[in-house]
Amino acid sequence: MSKKKPEMTIGGTIQVDYEWSVGNAGERFFTEIKDHKRIMGARCRTCGRVMVPPRIFCEECFVDAIEWVEVEPKGTLVTFGDCYFSTDGKRLDEPWILGIVRLNGADGGLIHFIKEAKAEDLKIGMPMEIVFSDERKGHILDISHFRPVKESE
Amino acid sequence: MARKVAIVGVGMQKFEFCKVETIEEMVFDVARNALEDARLSKDDIDAVVTGSAVDAFCGIVNSDKVATDGAGGFLKPTMRNSTSGSSAVSTPILGYNHVASGMYDIVMVICYEKMSENASAQAVFNTVYDEAYVRPIGLNVPIQCGLEARAYLHRYGLTERQMAKVSVKNRGNAISNPYAQLPMKLTVDDVMASPYLSWPVKLLDTSPVTDGARAVILASEDVARELTDSPVWIRGTGRGADSVWFMGRANPDLGRLDYAYLAARQAYEMAGIKDPAVEIDYAEVYDPFTFKEMQHCEALGLCPEGGAGRMIDEGVSWKDGALPVNASGGLQGEGNPIGAGMSRLNWCYLQIQGKAGDCQVSKDVNTAVCNAWGGMYQYNAVMVIGRD
Repeated sequence: MSKKKPEMTIGGTIQVDYEWSVGNAGERFFTEIKDHKRIMGARCRTCGRVMVPPRIFCEECFVDAIEWVEVEPKGTLVTFGDCYFSTDGKRLDEPWILGIVRLNGADGGLIHFIKEAKAEDLKIGMPMEIVFSDERKGHILDISHFRPVKESE
Repeated sequence: MARKVAIVGVGMQKFEFCKVETIEEMVFDVARNALEDARLSKDDIDAVVTGSAVDAFCGIVNSDKVATDGAGGFLKPTMRNSTSGSSAVSTPILGYNHVASGMYDIVMVICYEKMSENASAQAVFNTVYDEAYVRPIGLNVPIQCGLEARAYLHRYGLTERQMAKVSVKNRGNAISNPYAQLPMKLTVDDVMASPYLSWPVKLLDTSPVTDGARAVILASEDVARELTDSPVWIRGTGRGADSVWFMGRANPDLGRLDYAYLAARQAYEMAGIKDPAVEIDYAEVYDPFTFKEMQHCEALGLCPEGGAGRMIDEGVSWKDGALPVNASGGLQGEGNPIGAGMSRLNWCYLQIQGKAGDCQVSKDVNTAVCNAWGGMYQYNAVMVIGRD
């Protein structure tokens, strides 16, 4: 797409740094991962749905009555995507993989890296598990990645 | 009771990468073209509605301010709309509401996007994801589409070759469109041989980065009947939203667009359409990726749910088919300046008027539908237009 550019242009940069609050629900969620390697969901006291990522309200019932419940660090693969480009646009020889895993005990899940598997080893619906990072800071990268549950287990 | 609203003119311009024109200049061009088409002047316009998706593309924060003069908004009521990509149809819906409510008789609707001036459109897209749970993982547009397309093909047993046919159809149709950025004569094998971005999505399943604008002028029934003997009415509108938390939704299956089915149902109920596959003559369907055209054809009821593969295989949606889809070339062939995807509506109008030039389909077109999609797999907006 390298067509002619306008002859006269003015260059510029918009760069602003941010510090985003993870919110009330996020503080509990990321603290539990950091301190206890526990995945917590928010159960709606009205409909019983367990939300992961957790939130302080259920968008359907529209009440803020939630209780915290622990969910399993395992679940099923909802979908996955491989990619031959890094997120900053570089072409890669080997693809990297992201997947959405719906966690057991929750009505939701997380999106994260899939490692210890190639795309051709993966199937929608297969059991997956979370691998936690050794060093944890209260961040989504306290989870290292998902991997397929080993068959012997 | 809502008043009847007609489309009385449209403004077109060529979609391109790296336009010399600024947003103000692009918008002025399409606004003037629409006024000429409607045989109106700027002073006839009662209010102006503008829409675009993502200001970070053009790098002008609150970019509606630079669209106002060119849109004819000088000393008039103006309002800007944004629902990400679905702005392409939610913006004319906002214009419709301005007239249907009785507040204004003639409204100029302008959609624009200038995407070429940033160093990387992909880098801009990377900033739309949730900062706590998603962005640190590095989700990007290729994988975002791979996640959804894989779920969709899996759910309904559809194939990459069926996706490829949509690319062949739309880029081929664009050869007849003088405003198109990316007309191409392709074969299914060409598409299949293009590099993977994220399975099953390949380079030729996508749409380009584009600069461009579109205009539509809407009028109340009294005004429309003065201007023309054969008004094209907005017969139905619908919108739907799903949760931004796509990994935690009540319906976790990204393959089925509940929010798009909802938007279509609203629009068809309002239009009194019971069997869209029979009653809709023509469709311009939001196709930033090939599989999105397929999903949207299903959600719009143009084929049975899961039936979009057969629809393209059997030639139904080709230009000479029983229910042509995107004879203009769609976003894939005409170009994809996100908000200015309102072009889908402009082409429905041109087809009904018999003014679609070389893109004109051979069958009679009295009723047409268009839609647009946006957000985090999240929004759909649908509009049905037609003659009495």
